[in-house]
Amino acid sequence: MISMLEGSKAVAEAVRLCRPNLVCAYPITPQTHIVEELARMVADGRMHAGYVLAESEFGAASIVLGGSAVGGRAYTATSSQGLLLMTEVMFNIAGLRLPVVMTCANRAVSAPINIWNDQQDAVSIRDSGWIQLFVEDNQEALDTHIQAFRIAEQLMIPVMVCMDGFVLTHTVEPVELPAQEKVDSFLPPYKPSYRLDPDDPFTMGAMVGPDAYMETRYNMHNDMMEARTLIEQVARDYEAEFGRWHGGMIETYDTEGADIVLVSMGSLLGTMRDAIDELRREGLKVGLLKIRCFRPFPMNAVHDALQGIEVVGVIEKDISLGLEGTLCSEMRSAFCGEESPDISSFVMGLGGRDIKIDEIKQVARDLANNPSCRVEFRGLNEEVVMGDER
Amino acid sequence: MVEIRFHSLGGQGAVTLINMLAQAGDLVGRKVQAFPFFGAERRGAPVMCFLRMDDKEIALRSQIYKPDFLVIMSPSLIDAAIEEGTKEGTTVLINMAEEEARSRTADLPFAVYSVDATPIALDLGMEVEGLPVVNIAFLGAVSYMTELVPLEAVTEVLREKMPPSRVEASMEAARRGFTSVVEIRKSKAASRKERKSAVS
Repeated sequence: MISMLEGSKAVAEAVRLCRPNLVCAYPITPQTHIVEELARMVADGRMHAGYVLAESEFGAASIVLGGSAVGGRAYTATSSQGLLLMTEVMFNIAGLRLPVVMTCANRAVSAPINIWNDQQDAVSIRDSGWIQLFVEDNQEALDTHIQAFRIAEQLMIPVMVCMDGFVLTHTVEPVELPAQEKVDSFLPPYKPSYRLDPDDPFTMGAMVGPDAYMETRYNMHNDMMEARTLIEQVARDYEAEFGRWHGGMIETYDTEGADIVLVSMGSLLGTMRDAIDELRREGLKVGLLKIRCFRPFPMNAVHDALQGIEVVGVIEKDISLGLEGTLCSEMRSAFCGEESPDISSFVMGLGGRDIKIDEIKQVARDLANNPSCRVEFRGLNEEVVMGDER
Repeated sequence: MVEIRFHSLGGQGAVTLINMLAQAGDLVGRKVQAFPFFGAERRGAPVMCFLRMDDKEIALRSQIYKPDFLVIMSPSLIDAAIEEGTKEGTTVLINMAEEEARSRTADLPFAVYSVDATPIALDLGMEVEGLPVVNIAFLGAVSYMTELVPLEAVTEVLREKMPPSRVEASMEAARRGFTSVVEIRKSKAASRKERKSAVS
């Protein structure tokens, strides 16, 4: 059934279809509509889950940790400062191998305070041990949540689904809702192999000394690396079952025979697809690489997809201050020790600055004229820059 | 693809308006993308909304700078609305009585339509904390002006989405909005009739 749904409601429907035992969150713009809708579903009896309104994001993360530790399917959602406040607990959830699923409605980070979209929040906690999937549209947001629970529970690794705040969460567009029976067969009830149980007590998260801590981290790393295969497989299984494919770890668009490939993640990819079509018509051979999974990073897939490509521009809504856009650094790591394309970093759209299709096209044209590696902010207002200096 | 940009004040109901237009577009088989842009939510603050309609899937997600239709839901927003971007051939719909619209928009180089939505809203009890909620009257007016969705699709959506006690008044507001649009000025380019073939 196709519905015209706001992105937040599409996510809430996806979560409902996944039959979580526990939903716990603290509301924050632009995530609010997701958790409001879930609260409404529980209150109306459309969803049978425990719903806890936490006193803070730290509390919300701790409560889903507990819910997952006792064997429940647990879900939360947040944004920006909320995600940062959760950070300590998120490392614990990953380290305890608890398959929590979270939506991050991507938003800029303070200061200065800003409630609008960029991806600095999720990118800043890439090392927490969570799988991070970035979605391009609301259909992918819905489908990816269903995939996320399956990936998380199969690997015992938590999954964060990242969707651009406002740009997706507040956009109404057509979304197909899958039937409950099909979701049930794709995602059977969660059966933990271990859980906290007063009748069968054991310790979860005991202190581990220098004798074994490093081995634990090594195992987590290996499991994350291996997760790449399963993430790809779950996307294939989903396609077989539901007929929709949004990419596995990555997706390519018009990269065949391209002179330049632009790279990004999230909702900007839609505008970029139109830009690529127009550039091709204008005679510039430009392709697009979509990074769907940011952690684990698809090094091999990126490497293979860019064989023979000499010029790459990474357009992203985050900045590792003092270096470059973070996705750009990751892209470079895919070519360690061998000849790499020239990979440039274009930081755009921070704090809700709208990105126009002409700005994307200009990046490609500028790379065609000058392919050398560089880091640039695009779309700056020079007057505001000068004002800030004073 | 047809692009519409809306300028309104928080509390006028523009977000609900674009949501309902999207539902109506879906009913007649069009692909729609609709989204708002606003600050920290509060009544009376300017809100922009954007709507794209096409016969194929819509990938583009930037805001709209060259709208086919510019909908101005409060006279206080005329200058800001035009400054945000127009193109040759933009058609304007403004919330104003006919005479005032004729004088206030005399210098605009656009085709201009007006709808006096505030009395419609007040007459039908559409008011929240003393502010007229003009979105449903505009739903009808936009249906008339753009010819993208017929009034029947709009009333169908209202029947489905409004609380039962508000369905009749809402359908009436949409009908009055639809029938009370006045053509203030043709653009140099095309009248409503001539444009019809281009839109469909």
